[in-house]
Amino acid sequence: MARTWLVPVTIICIVFGLFFSYLIKLQGNNTNTNPLSQKNTNLVMIIRDLEEEINNQENMIEKIRNDLTALQNQNLPFRGKSKELQEQLKEERIRAGLTPVAGKGIVITIADNKEGLKANPQDDPNKYIIHYENILNLVSELKVGGAEAIAINGQRLITTSEIRCVGNVILVNTTRLAPPFEISAIGSPRHLSEIVNNGQLDVLRSSNFPVSLKEMDEVIIPAYKGGLQFVYARPVKEE
Amino acid sequence: MWILPVMGLIIGVLIGSALTFQVPVAYVKYMSIAVLASLDSVLGGIRAIMEDLFDSTVLLTGFFANALLAALLAYLGDRLGVDLYYAAVFAFGVRLFQNLASIRHKLLLNYRHKKQRNRGEQQ
Repeated sequence: MARTWLVPVTIICIVFGLFFSYLIKLQGNNTNTNPLSQKNTNLVMIIRDLEEEINNQENMIEKIRNDLTALQNQNLPFRGKSKELQEQLKEERIRAGLTPVAGKGIVITIADNKEGLKANPQDDPNKYIIHYENILNLVSELKVGGAEAIAINGQRLITTSEIRCVGNVILVNTTRLAPPFEISAIGSPRHLSEIVNNGQLDVLRSSNFPVSLKEMDEVIIPAYKGGLQFVYARPVKEE
Repeated sequence: MWILPVMGLIIGVLIGSALTFQVPVAYVKYMSIAVLASLDSVLGGIRAIMEDLFDSTVLLTGFFANALLAALLAYLGDRLGVDLYYAAVFAFGVRLFQNLASIRHKLLLNYRHKKQRNRGEQQ
């Protein structure tokens, strides 16, 4: 009995200690070892970076546009004709949505029906959130009602603006929007509120969504910040 | 005489905490079974020493075979949709407690034995 057990027990102790401490370490940072969440954080970081870059580029566009406006507003040596052209340009810029505008209008605020979802947690959550279709319908109705300028959460809608569903966020002008959604529109306040009250807002109210509508004497709608490039479209030559 | 195994344990812990490679989350389960199997073997070995039944071949083969078989069985269970993992945990758990109980038993008996013998010598 010359302690033949010493070496085998030591070996097993080494292996046991190895597994044991390794597993404890693994369990300690369990939340970070999930490969899926790791991948997600990477993706989120990429999105953040890209959004920051978009922001920078938009600021650049804005600066250049301001310079351009300053140049266009300079008094040119040829008065008569150029003045007329400058006025025309200003008008077109307002129409294109490249200038902030203000005027009478309405502000609609819609948000997810959180109370409803809380009350019925078993229910399909899709019934309690605002979908892009709701916003799209509202905007269409505002356009029918003669809205001259529309913005959603500060994103000016212009001819190329999209209202699009991507997963669980809504994109407008490729910017992610989160509820509550504030849709401001310039136009006849009475006319606009009548048309939405009888349309999409009525639908949302009947499903108990928190909805508010304010008629305002002055609604300020910001300018479109993104780029406008026409690569393929050319004006048709008039004969 | 217990210094070498304790040293081994410390060395193992150090190596384990120094390891940096990641095991996929899906396999962590099998790792935990391996830990149970090794703990069971350590206690089983101590028990065998106490009972003078120690055999190094039995201990080593038992250790590796148990760990591998348990992991394999758990894996098979996962494939089949049967939670054999819990069966392995249960089996090892029961054995752990049995080993602990008999070690305690043996220690207690030894202690009493010694005491009695001491008293006998004194008288």
